Amino acid sequence: MTEKLKVAGVAGGAVGLGGFAAALGLCCAVPWTVALLGVTGAVAFARLSFLIPYALIGAAAFLGLGFWLAYREPVCQEGTCTPARGPLRLVIWLTAAIVVGLAITAVLFRVTIS
Amino acid sequence: MRNSIVLAGLLAMLTLFEFANAGTPGATSDGVVPLDDQFSRLRDDFNRSKGTLRLLFVVDPICPGCLRGMDDMNRDLLARTKDARLQTFVVHVPVIGAQAKDVLPAAKLLENPNVRHYWNASGEFGRSLSKAVQLKNDKDFVYAWDVWLLYGPDAEWTGASPPRPELLMHQLWKLEGTKFPKLDSKVFAREVQMDLSKLPATATQE
Repeated sequence: MTEKLKVAGVAGGAVGLGGFAAALGLCCAVPWTVALLGVTGAVAFARLSFLIPYALIGAAAFLGLGFWLAYREPVCQEGTCTPARGPLRLVIWLTAAIVVGLAITAVLFRVTIS
Repeated sequence: MRNSIVLAGLLAMLTLFEFANAGTPGATSDGVVPLDDQFSRLRDDFNRSKGTLRLLFVVDPICPGCLRGMDDMNRDLLARTKDARLQTFVVHVPVIGAQAKDVLPAAKLLENPNVRHYWNASGEFGRSLSKAVQLKNDKDFVYAWDVWLLYGPDAEWTGASPPRPELLMHQLWKLEGTKFPKLDSKVFAREVQMDLSKLPATATQE
């Protein structure tokens, strides 16, 4: 698997888990849950809210792995290091920004609404 | 003569209709009672049920957390009994944008014949209850929704706001760390069963 794919997978996992946490955090603050899932679905969704911290921890772990992949010592042969790390680092920093935003959403909305 | 007969028939039908709806005065066809900002219908129903244990739930019918609370209460308490010594009042308030039409689907979560549902469109009930029970964290009053109250048989609603309950549980982040316990439907149900066992038995209990 190439470096690019690894970082893309890790970034996707981090954003996915962050998004899941944000959706759970938002579920009591916005009126869409019942409209989308119905009463039974909303109850089931609300029962998953205990997963928010685990999802955020998982997202942070993915981010950590992403940073390690992007910043570890490159393998250099005959003076050439592949692949170039610049774009990978940019991707992981962007991912970090998105995940932080999602984490704030997950926590803040839970606090604000009650 | 023919007109008189028709008129008498209409009157009889009207009387029958009124009689059929006598159990829930002022209720809409779906059984949900609109609640004014004096909460007069709820107060009347509450006081009429004096001598029984009374539960008061305040929820937003489209808030998943509240719906989960109702589902838990149903599983651990209300679906297990038809005891008429336990009366439940559920006040639905629009905190995150609920409308009157949202009450009925939520109401179906509580499978018990002694539950009455009210819709307070202004949301004033949450403010009034908050002040009445001193629902505060360190600094501020916290709007009373997603709260679950238990009243003993002697409780009477005399003032403008509901009386103080025997037990109040909540699912509100802002009340964490205060004297109010977080909702645990099993503990709540246990308290109710304990109180019920102290009440005189009736023919309708199960």
